Amino acid sequence: MFQQNGLSLDQAPPIGVIFRLFFVASLFGVLSGIFILLYGVDIFDLSSIGAITIVHTLTLGVMASFMLGALFQMLPVIGGVVISAPVGWSWTIQILFVFGLISLLLAFNLPQFSYLFIYASILLGLSLLGAIVLMGNRLLLVAHHTSSSRGMLFALVAFGVTIFLAIYLSLSLAGVVDGIYYMQIKVAHYSFGLFGWITLLIFSISFQVIEMFYVTPPYPSLVGKYLPLTLFVILIFSIFMPFIGGIMMSILLISFSLLTLYRLSQKKRPLADATIWFWRLGLTSLIVSMLFAIAYKIFSLDWINSISSVAFVSFALSIIFAMFYKIVPFLTWFHLNAQGYYKAPMMHEVIHPKTAKKHFWIHSIVIISLLLSIWITPLIYLAGASTILSFGWVSYQVIYAHLLYVKTQKSGEKFDMSGMD
Amino acid sequence: MIITNYMRDEHRECDTLFAKAEEAVALAEWSVAGERFLAFANDTIRHFKKEEDELFPAFENQTGNAQGPTMVMKYEHEQIRDLIGKMAASIEAEDKDAYLSLAESMMILLQQHNMKEEQMLYSMCDRALPQALKEETLEKMKAVTI
Repeated sequence: MFQQNGLSLDQAPPIGVIFRLFFVASLFGVLSGIFILLYGVDIFDLSSIGAITIVHTLTLGVMASFMLGALFQMLPVIGGVVISAPVGWSWTIQILFVFGLISLLLAFNLPQFSYLFIYASILLGLSLLGAIVLMGNRLLLVAHHTSSSRGMLFALVAFGVTIFLAIYLSLSLAGVVDGIYYMQIKVAHYSFGLFGWITLLIFSISFQVIEMFYVTPPYPSLVGKYLPLTLFVILIFSIFMPFIGGIMMSILLISFSLLTLYRLSQKKRPLADATIWFWRLGLTSLIVSMLFAIAYKIFSLDWINSISSVAFVSFALSIIFAMFYKIVPFLTWFHLNAQGYYKAPMMHEVIHPKTAKKHFWIHSIVIISLLLSIWITPLIYLAGASTILSFGWVSYQVIYAHLLYVKTQKSGEKFDMSGMD
Repeated sequence: MIITNYMRDEHRECDTLFAKAEEAVALAEWSVAGERFLAFANDTIRHFKKEEDELFPAFENQTGNAQGPTMVMKYEHEQIRDLIGKMAASIEAEDKDAYLSLAESMMILLQQHNMKEEQMLYSMCDRALPQALKEETLEKMKAVTI
């Protein structure tokens, strides 16, 4: 019973698993800034090589890495899900993932080496489908699902569908399959990725953390119970009926964002730290993104689509940063404290709220400059440079937390915990 | 689900008291902060006492498992008690930054702990204990003082 219910402190994954995933995510973030500088405003043409390269650097390199790191940490707590041998699994998944993503990015940019798509399919397929099976399998065994664990399960299924469709697309580009349904599969691929995986996972996490971090009233139970399934049904419907389905999806996401913003306005904790502002920016960005997505369906103007896309990136990254600034300081303190180090640094000593606030402004500059560069093209260089600074900032925070962790351990000043075994 | 409902309500009351204490610290109203923090600390410690003196022994006797989830929960109670002590010291020293930093750790630790209890341990208690024993344990918990 003890080992099966995720209640043991020992079942929290080692801190290195999370730090390594977050660090690699931030490096891919720096790379996305470099790509913005290299490709310039071409990235706003969503069918261009530049746009496809940046989209995959952000969605896979940054977002999927951060999200898998967060899942490794949260599954034992939220669903009582135990991942055995997390270090071995995370290393395997990560090495395959990094080489797979590099192959994919090279494949997009070097069409003469189409076999790179096959490498990417194999490496990313093994890595990500492996991660999905590893986590999803454990989630399926949960006896009593919460809103969060149920949503995570749906999100992982959507991620699996996204990867399978991606493998078909890659093999089409490599000439292995005929690609007769390429365009339809491409639409399904990014719909499942953006809405089924990224958005649903963020919503599922928010069921738990909004109430938990900020002490708000809980979400209505009907929302927690039916939102994942509703989103999934609309997602499938939208693939066959894109106009109506797309509008329904937009309305659903706007409604949930408004509800979460309302919940945040009801928070009992008085302080408005940077993480709250990241949440507010992220949710407002999703509302903007969906409003412009509806407008694009009506007017079909490229600049409207560009605003919708940038706002969606702002949504996902803002909320990832909100989580990052809670997870990294807490884990550093938690692991050291649990090991008995009485000089375990407090959360503010790991990352001070003022440091997070500064990053919030840098991140805001990234988003504003990206949006303005749709019309004022030289601002794209400010967007690229500030993206590098933003993710460089994040990677520095991970390194700093890691060094502080090691330094505290080396100090060796701890309570004798031998009696607790 | 009488155990789950009763204990979950207590968690929410502690959250509210915690937020009120934090609000006073943020405004540097130290005497008010001291009173509110004391109310939070007392309620939290009384809640732990209800679990450790009444609920956990009832669960352990019924299931024959004293080395399982209740042991982990008791260990986490110790961590939380330790943090309560540190937070009290920061109020004593009127050290706002230290308090708010400790409050962040406390909030996440407490919420993770509560989540495990509400989603797993309490529902295990509700399922494992016979109705009469549940009602008896609930009455005993209501009578606990510190």
